[in-house]
Amino acid sequence: MHELSMTTQIVETVLAEAKKHGAKKVIEVKLVIGKMTFLGTDQIGFSYKILTEDTILKGSKLTIEEKEGTIECPNCGYKGTVPIKDDPAYHIPVPTLQCPECRRAAKIVEGKECTIKSIKMAK
Amino acid sequence: MADANDVIKGEEVTLEIEPGMNILEVNKKLAQKNKERLNKHNVKAIDIMGSIGAGKTSLIEKLVQKLKNKYKIVVFKGDLTTTIDAERIGKHGVQVITINTGRECHLDANVVAKAVERIKIEDIDLLIIENVGNLICPAEFPLGTDKRVVVISVTEGPYMILKHPFTFMNADVMVINKKDLAQTMKIDTNQLENQAKEVKPDVKVAVTNALTGEGVDELIKALEL
Repeated sequence: MHELSMTTQIVETVLAEAKKHGAKKVIEVKLVIGKMTFLGTDQIGFSYKILTEDTILKGSKLTIEEKEGTIECPNCGYKGTVPIKDDPAYHIPVPTLQCPECRRAAKIVEGKECTIKSIKMAK
Repeated sequence: MADANDVIKGEEVTLEIEPGMNILEVNKKLAQKNKERLNKHNVKAIDIMGSIGAGKTSLIEKLVQKLKNKYKIVVFKGDLTTTIDAERIGKHGVQVITINTGRECHLDANVVAKAVERIKIEDIDLLIIENVGNLICPAEFPLGTDKRVVVISVTEGPYMILKHPFTFMNADVMVINKKDLAQTMKIDTNQLENQAKEVKPDVKVAVTNALTGEGVDELIKALEL
């Protein structure tokens, strides 16, 4: 829902980097978006197209790499991907922070990224 | 290797840089700063999130009534526009600062830092922040509070938790409000509570009726206030 404002910040950051390096054109931007964020990659792509229209980013390629969620249990030390509870009573598979080993509460350690991984630009 | 500036005229040189900047991390760092600042002045802070109409403002009114003799309270009230809710809460004799976000669907640590500038932080010991009415986005933006609360109400249906697990993963306390309507809505609040605990095993739950104040003491206990 806040993809537009997040993408605005991404575009501003890329523009600042491009200026710093004296680039005339940005060719490609690579992002990493965690699956534990509320960011939709399609909406980011759509916002990016609109926001870059009148900038040196116009026509640049946007590559989005999605990152799986990982949890770590402070209790037993388990580390792994976010478990999915597939209880037929729920009709839908539901991600959970319950540690699959000891059933206590684990913490999210990966999957909350919204990172500009690299920028390719031309001078 | 040739320097990027050392090129024959007319030739295009591409540079690949790796800034590795996490845009969400910017908010997280600001939130940490808010937290340090509030802790330094021994101010406890609570972020109250939830859908439009879940009963966040009514709950805050009851919290303020019950806690205003124990704590010096300030309320930050996030809304797209208007000061309607701020007036409701302000009637109970506490300072309320409205944060109108305009179009933004959530509060972030930056606007909270600005609002903190406008209060006498030395003179208060409890800050209650009512987030913008939205069950999804606010969860992505920590504000620097000690506790994060998600309010849902039985009139929102039986699937609020299953449909929004990521929101509840970010909550320390969950409130199930409008308990008086549970029977009419054919909602089993125990089932909601179990679902929340499956998603987040250490979440604390209070079942309330914010209009009468029923269950608000349990909420205060869950918030360790």
